[in-house]
Amino acid sequence: MTESFTIAPVIDVAQVTQDSRPSEREVVFDIHDLTVSYGRVTAISGVDLQIHRNVITAIIGPSGCGKSTFIRCLNRMNDLVPGARIEGQILYQGSDLYASGVDPVEIRRRIGMVFQKANPFPKSIYDNVAWGPRVLGMRKELDERVEKALRSAALWDEVKDRLKKNALSLSGGQQQRLCIARAIAVEPEVLLLDEPASALDPIATSAIEDLMHQLKREYTLVIVTHNMQQAARVADLTAFFSLEVDETRRSGVLVEYDATSKIFTNPSDKRTEDYVTGRFG
Amino acid sequence: MRTTFQEELDLLEATLQEEGQLVLRALRAAINALEQRDEELADEVIAFDDDVDQHYVRIEEGIQLLLARQTPVASDLRLVLAILHVNLHLERMADYCVTIAKLTKLVPEVDPGPRFVEGFEEMGSRCEEMIRVALDSFGSRDLAGAESLVDLDELIDRANRRVVERILELGGDPAMREYGLRMVVVSRALERIGDHAVDIGEQTAYLLTAEFREFTDASHPTAREA
Repeated sequence: MTESFTIAPVIDVAQVTQDSRPSEREVVFDIHDLTVSYGRVTAISGVDLQIHRNVITAIIGPSGCGKSTFIRCLNRMNDLVPGARIEGQILYQGSDLYASGVDPVEIRRRIGMVFQKANPFPKSIYDNVAWGPRVLGMRKELDERVEKALRSAALWDEVKDRLKKNALSLSGGQQQRLCIARAIAVEPEVLLLDEPASALDPIATSAIEDLMHQLKREYTLVIVTHNMQQAARVADLTAFFSLEVDETRRSGVLVEYDATSKIFTNPSDKRTEDYVTGRFG
Repeated sequence: MRTTFQEELDLLEATLQEEGQLVLRALRAAINALEQRDEELADEVIAFDDDVDQHYVRIEEGIQLLLARQTPVASDLRLVLAILHVNLHLERMADYCVTIAKLTKLVPEVDPGPRFVEGFEEMGSRCEEMIRVALDSFGSRDLAGAESLVDLDELIDRANRRVVERILELGGDPAMREYGLRMVVVSRALERIGDHAVDIGEQTAYLLTAEFREFTDASHPTAREA
């Protein structure tokens, strides 16, 4: 781990979210000295970070700084990448996420993910949402479960009369909300969103952002975004990753992690300041 | 690099400094008109306020556009907000110069004698110095310079009290009483210009430290200020 990191030592989460319920302070992910490499290439190194319950945490930073790599570690999606090596420790609810015996499939049920490109199955709207619960044997009251997920994703009113229609007939923004419904149908604890609105128009984007505010009451959300204003609008906490290049290596590092209001009014690190004000590079 | 954005920010700040120079000119002319009982010059001061107002509006419009189109954050955001406030303080200062000019025109017949001329000259020069320090420390991002305005303001406050004492000594002649009444307001206007200069210093401090704070708290003065 490089010594030049400036990470706010203590973040008052209760103050950030203006909510002092004890659960607000709970740490969901406790990440220590995380380094991820693909073959000989180091993607991120020495990341220390805590992610808190019922809080929206945004990960921002330039292309290639390891944002997606980082978020994919949180539900072991990198396991599927050949040559990926993960060092350091990620504690999820206090237990080592990468301990032997941990079932990645169960991890991914508890920690759902939504991707940049909406990727509904070429099936009906209903089947898309019901798919996860069916696979996991949650067959009881399936209709209610599907409705609840679609309502939570703020999509129910738009699709309730055409649940048997093909999901691919929906608009891009609706497809992305369907993917969110599909992710929450299996009742995860955490929702990871990797650039969920980058392909959407402003109206669909604002629907997704409103939805995130709704969802954080029940879920812990981590969002990777290229759009800094989106981070400023939706996130309680923001982590800025940057690409550190020296003679021997280049890898993503965590530069600063603090309340979003602090990051966008008075960041502590010059690199953060340069990035958020657009003076990067 | 956001070249256009940086250019727009630079232009805003340059216009602000230009507005500050106009305020300095208006103040010097207002003091000269007052001391020399020059009604024509007083009229010029009043007309000159339009130039300051034009700068004020141009800066307001520039800020509106910048906020809408560039969404500044971090130190850029603080700079835009500070310019917004400093602009208003400069415009208020120019308005006080107009007040002084109008009052000058109301009592052109009275020769107040050298003691008053001296008093107003002292207050006027101190105001000019404070405006220069306020503009320079904002321009050069100089926190110590900005904080020094508090001490300079104390000197104006004292000069204001001295002028008021002299006014009280003017006696019962109706013409002199009217003059005295007008001059209390002039003295007060100069004292307020000093306060606005301190406020500009506070904006410099905000720009540099990201903390909102008043240099002195009028409603809770420290032992020294009381």
